[in-house]
Amino acid sequence: MSNSVISVISRFLEEYTTKTSNKLKVVDAYLFYILLTGALQFLYCLLVGTFPFNSFLAGFISCVGAFILGVCLRIQINPDNKGDFLTISQERAFADFLLAHTVLHLVVINFIG
Amino acid sequence: MIPNVSFTQRCVKSIAHVSWLASFPAGSSSVFCLVLLTVALGAQALTPSHHLSLSDVDRLKGLLSQPFTDLASAYYSIVGLSKLGASVADENDACQFLKAQLDPMSVDSLFFAAEASQAIADCEVSIFNETRDILLAAVSEDSTVTQIFRAVSALSSLGLPLASQEVVAALVARIAKEDNVLAITTALQTATRLSQQAELGGILEEIEDLAARLDDLGGVYLQFEEGLEATALFVTAAYTLSDHADTEPPLKEDQVIQLVNSVFSKKSWDSRSEAFSVACAAAALSSNRFHVPVIVSTQGPATVSHSQPILHLLVTDILSNPLASANLLVESAQAVASKSVVLSQAPFSLRNGIFELNFMASQPASGYYQFTVAVTGDSRLVANQVELKVKVSTEVAVTNMDLSVVDKDQSIGTKTSRVDYPFKAKGSFTADSHQNFAMNFQLVDANTGVELTPHQTFVRFHNQKTGQEVVFVAEPDSKNLYKFELDTAERKSEFDSMSGTYVLHLIVGDATLENPILWNVADVVLKFLDEEAPAAIQSKTLYMPKPDIQHLFREPEKKPPTVVSNTFTALVLSPFLLLLILWFKLGANISNFSLSPSSVLFHVGHACMLGLMYVYWTHLNMFQTLKYLAIIGSLTFLAGNRMLAQKAAHSKIFRSTIKHVSGT
Repeated sequence: MSNSVISVISRFLEEYTTKTSNKLKVVDAYLFYILLTGALQFLYCLLVGTFPFNSFLAGFISCVGAFILGVCLRIQINPDNKGDFLTISQERAFADFLLAHTVLHLVVINFIG
Repeated sequence: MIPNVSFTQRCVKSIAHVSWLASFPAGSSSVFCLVLLTVALGAQALTPSHHLSLSDVDRLKGLLSQPFTDLASAYYSIVGLSKLGASVADENDACQFLKAQLDPMSVDSLFFAAEASQAIADCEVSIFNETRDILLAAVSEDSTVTQIFRAVSALSSLGLPLASQEVVAALVARIAKEDNVLAITTALQTATRLSQQAELGGILEEIEDLAARLDDLGGVYLQFEEGLEATALFVTAAYTLSDHADTEPPLKEDQVIQLVNSVFSKKSWDSRSEAFSVACAAAALSSNRFHVPVIVSTQGPATVSHSQPILHLLVTDILSNPLASANLLVESAQAVASKSVVLSQAPFSLRNGIFELNFMASQPASGYYQFTVAVTGDSRLVANQVELKVKVSTEVAVTNMDLSVVDKDQSIGTKTSRVDYPFKAKGSFTADSHQNFAMNFQLVDANTGVELTPHQTFVRFHNQKTGQEVVFVAEPDSKNLYKFELDTAERKSEFDSMSGTYVLHLIVGDATLENPILWNVADVVLKFLDEEAPAAIQSKTLYMPKPDIQHLFREPEKKPPTVVSNTFTALVLSPFLLLLILWFKLGANISNFSLSPSSVLFHVGHACMLGLMYVYWTHLNMFQTLKYLAIIGSLTFLAGNRMLAQKAAHSKIFRSTIKHVSGT
């Protein structure tokens, strides 16, 4: 059982490192960074308490939002999905990413208190 | 058995009752009329709530008697005082003053002098040949109504002939032009000086039109918005003209009373002319041929008792002069409490100008009675049905006062002793927690022996040592026997469980009692269980400053120690390093960075936006941020659009080149 899990994982990792383009890996690294940041914030909240609750929420939502936007960007610039996004060029996807991030940051800073 | 109601519950009722009664100042005759104003029994007419009492009349005369400095004030004083039946201090002096101040060329001057000299006996103002011409010239359509009035009055007072019909024509023309209240009132006054043969019908109709312009205030007052003087002058003019033309004025009884209220509600007057107008109105209302408002008032408080069995009433006109031919009759006297009619159609007898009735002869029980009295004898009387509230008071006697200490288990009196008023019980009574202290007594009318239930029957315990005072209410049972029972255990909280000797007082009071009772009945020793021995009684410290309350500010939330937060801050920022490392490992680079202006501008703009976020967090508010964001954002957008378009075009060329190359 665990054997098959390990083999699945190793297979996945192998496919990942070979098949995915660099561009996507860059985005994936970014996503991983966001994930870590969010997880650490959540850990702090669990350990120490929610004292400035609005600040915690702002930080956490910022991570969640950034992660989602990053995922959207990744989906849109993945050449395998080109068929789904015929009207949206890569540059357009990036521009959307930036615009959405501007709004997200505005809201987060407003809420961070 | 009978609940001992706490003092405060019954207190409010007693205080309200007593304070209502205390609001009757003795000797004020107008107050009773005030009380009856809005009582509506069927179609009861309004009664005047204000009139001029003798002191008011004196004050009015005083204001008018002040020394005068010019003809106008002389006129107001002399004529005003004559209307009130008085005269100026020195008539000769006044006459000389008039003659000296007269300006024979001025219509106003002639008017004041002529009218005032008429009011003084043996005073004649000299006239010249031109006087008549001057006065007649003033009577025309081109002069104001006031001018016409003064000219006509001067002509009539000086005995000079005038053409009434011409005057009427001029008046009618002027009324059409000057449609205000004072002008029409002056026109009415002018018409009183004309001959009775003249056509005064048109002017008489103006009375009704003017009356329609009066403002009704709450159904009590009827006055012109121009004020008291205008209303008073209107009343004078209306009645004088009606007398002159021998036509009843078109004013209803209620309207007359409301006018009386308006004119006589003000008891101190601002100016001589105002006082003059009130004096004229008072004279007109007390001696015209059609409506004479009558005032029925009591001499002192309307109370009868066995010692003073006679009810005295005064019947006067609004100047407080007694009416010559009037008869007073009690139409009905009804007890307020039981609504039974005690007296009906009983006449008053007149003695020395005061109407008297021996009410005690009908043997009324003590309490309040609603009297309806009617004044007859003159068909001109207005508001001649008056309602009065009369109090019959009596004396109370406490009988059969029995004090006893009753055991709770047996409820048989172990010691009953009778105490007679006003003596004190010989021994003291002891009651501890197993016993009740009981008191029975009866309150009877000292004169008739009827049982009474006064408003205030209180039993007061006073601890001499600690100053505590506890008051209970004694209540009567169905047979009007008063019982009071003190359950020592139940009531210990009221006494603060302080055992000791309490002095017992019985307090009996009521508005209809002439002899309220405060009777020290006995001493009662009360023993309470679990004595708390509280600190010497709070009555001393009750009114001292209390301890300061310190404001407790909201405690700030508990924060984790700085070390922990700092650690986690570092921890949260650490993935960024990891990201940089990963990117480096992946080979991400900025080698493709084209230094085109739009690209530079885009990156600068983007950096500015991120910087703006930080500034927003520290300094700005949302509105300012949005403003800056709009500016920077639009620049960045344009630059970014340019840059990305360039990039897209570039990569397209690149890809097509690759394809082309690989294609071939």
